[in-house]
Amino acid sequence: MTVTFESLTAGDTIEGPSFAVSRDSIRLFCDASLDYNPLHLDDDYMTGNFGKTQFGGVIMHGMNNFGLISRMITDWAYPAGAIHRRLETRWVKPVRPGDTIRPSGIIKNKQLTARSRWVLIDVVVRNQDDERVATGEAMVEFPA
Amino acid sequence: MAGAQAFETDFWKDAGARKVWDEIVPGEPRKTIPYTLTREAIELYCRSVGETHPLYFDEAYAKTTRYGGLIAPPSIHIMLMFACTPADDWMRSPGTVNAGQSWSYNVPARPGDVIRLEARALDKFIKRERLFVVHDNVFFNQHGDVICSGRGWTIRPA
Repeated sequence: MTVTFESLTAGDTIEGPSFAVSRDSIRLFCDASLDYNPLHLDDDYMTGNFGKTQFGGVIMHGMNNFGLISRMITDWAYPAGAIHRRLETRWVKPVRPGDTIRPSGIIKNKQLTARSRWVLIDVVVRNQDDERVATGEAMVEFPA
Repeated sequence: MAGAQAFETDFWKDAGARKVWDEIVPGEPRKTIPYTLTREAIELYCRSVGETHPLYFDEAYAKTTRYGGLIAPPSIHIMLMFACTPADDWMRSPGTVNAGQSWSYNVPARPGDVIRLEARALDKFIKRERLFVVHDNVFFNQHGDVICSGRGWTIRPA
């Protein structure tokens, strides 16, 4: 059923796509994003320390989380005639090859402004152990 | 991918030419390069995150929508950030860790758009012994419309 602004209530959930992370998926994201930081390519390099942080092996691009959340939001918004207007994210935990991650959202609030209607969504990405790897907030406009 | 033919994928190569945390001046504009967004680049980005919506692939469908033609997914700024900056940009320093980003979307980017970036470091600080730089970015299309604007928090290599 297509979502409407009127029918949405706080607590409604949005389920995003499951995404299997592998060396190949990370390499593809390098080519697609043009971000070839050795953090995502070079295991030897990743045995070192990063200004107080140690990863122990290559990690997925944080922005791959961002792209998955964004995909979830647009796939939810387009059929409703709504527009993805904002996404803010923080990375909580590194994601590694072999992990499976999935974004989800929960409607936090609706708000009317002078010229439009807005839905605020809390978003999270979890791994296969149900650990949070990214959190954030999204804002979707439902044009009046 | 025409726009990326000259793209240097070895981020070590120009490492010595990039500013370290001490040299980054908040407020100073970063050097940027206009970039023509191609359908191929959009499709490659879509593939990397599993985007399948016909708005990004099917021109006949896209023409029937409010967008009037093919668009890129909003998160295309992820690749535009690297496409629109030169090899000596400090965002490319090996070991740059992204701590989070926030983006606002105005009009969609489209295949064929000539995209321009205005970018700068906005702030830098030290927290729990980590060296942070906040970056501030606005992407425009060839008509001068804002595509999107965003801010990110990076931890710089020590």
